[in-house]
Amino acid sequence: MLIPRRVKHRKQHHPKRAGKSKGGTTVAFGDYGVQAMEPAYVTNRQIEAARIAMTRHIKRGGKVWINIYPDRPLTKKPAETRMGSGKGSPEWWIANVKPGRVMFEISGVTEAVASEAMTRAMHKLPMKCRIVRREEF
Amino acid sequence: MAEISIKGSRRTEFGKGASRRARRDGFIPAVIYGHGEKPQHVALPSRELGVALKTSNVLIDVVLDDHTELTLPKSVSRDPLTGLLEHIDLVIVRRGERVVVSVPVHTEGKYDQDGILEHTNNSIEVEVDVTSIPAFLMLNMEGMMAGESKTASEVILPEGVKLISDPKMTVVHLSVKAAEVEEVAVVAVPAEGDAAAAAAATPAEGDAAAEGDDKKDKKSK
Repeated sequence: MLIPRRVKHRKQHHPKRAGKSKGGTTVAFGDYGVQAMEPAYVTNRQIEAARIAMTRHIKRGGKVWINIYPDRPLTKKPAETRMGSGKGSPEWWIANVKPGRVMFEISGVTEAVASEAMTRAMHKLPMKCRIVRREEF
Repeated sequence: MAEISIKGSRRTEFGKGASRRARRDGFIPAVIYGHGEKPQHVALPSRELGVALKTSNVLIDVVLDDHTELTLPKSVSRDPLTGLLEHIDLVIVRRGERVVVSVPVHTEGKYDQDGILEHTNNSIEVEVDVTSIPAFLMLNMEGMMAGESKTASEVILPEGVKLISDPKMTVVHLSVKAAEVEEVAVVAVPAEGDAAAAAAATPAEGDAAAEGDDKKDKKSK
């Protein structure tokens, strides 16, 4: 599971969700990619689940890239707790994904296999996604 | 080498409001610069420009009221979701001038199917005459075995094309397929270790302060 080794501040504000992705919007490493269509916080568990879904489907062929990293902590107060007494304790690690971001890439497999693998991965993610392919400009 | 002529008009109003109005009317804001001349702000028809940009490194003849500028796209910004053009930077070029451009690399030939083909670099930089920029360069992968790489120096360059990228730069790599057993080992990471790992991962701000916070939380329970 992806977790930062060190962080400067263990409790942070919630990251901004407005706007579209400023970079990483095209397939850079592989042949096909999973692109986010909506903003979302993607947890490290979801990233891992998506990765496993893809690698299990493609078996020993192909290669998978993960282009997002869960570097933001989210906190949670315990259940049935009165307000106040400071901020809750870190509960999740999330990647702040904005629309347009290519989150996963895949190569070395046929288009049909890549499509099925990425569809399985998309079912593990908390936002609408689409499959994109490498383009030349 | 593709050369397309597009009729443009000078922009008189600027800013995001004017740019959005132009886009609504079917025009893309653009700027033309280079060769020590003052930047010219123009609007180009989006449909024609979109068709022109389907070819990489296309030469665009921008026809303005008083003169024509021969240009090369320098930077194209698109909406990441819709792919629609938002803005384009065009750099002025002269016929006979040699320019450094990034040209896509295509592959041909049969290679070892046991390997996974990775395009480490999809394009390479070359110096070429502006009127004879190749649409793509070819890399022969005949007989390539898993674990081998092809570098920029092995790309077939047409006459008059000079390589600018590092000749040792890897263009494609045929990596060896990982064994299936390894994947099972990765999957078998225990999920319940997450909380402990998260706590262990965050002592950077100061352990004492962190512990104090936790005590406060417990008290509030």
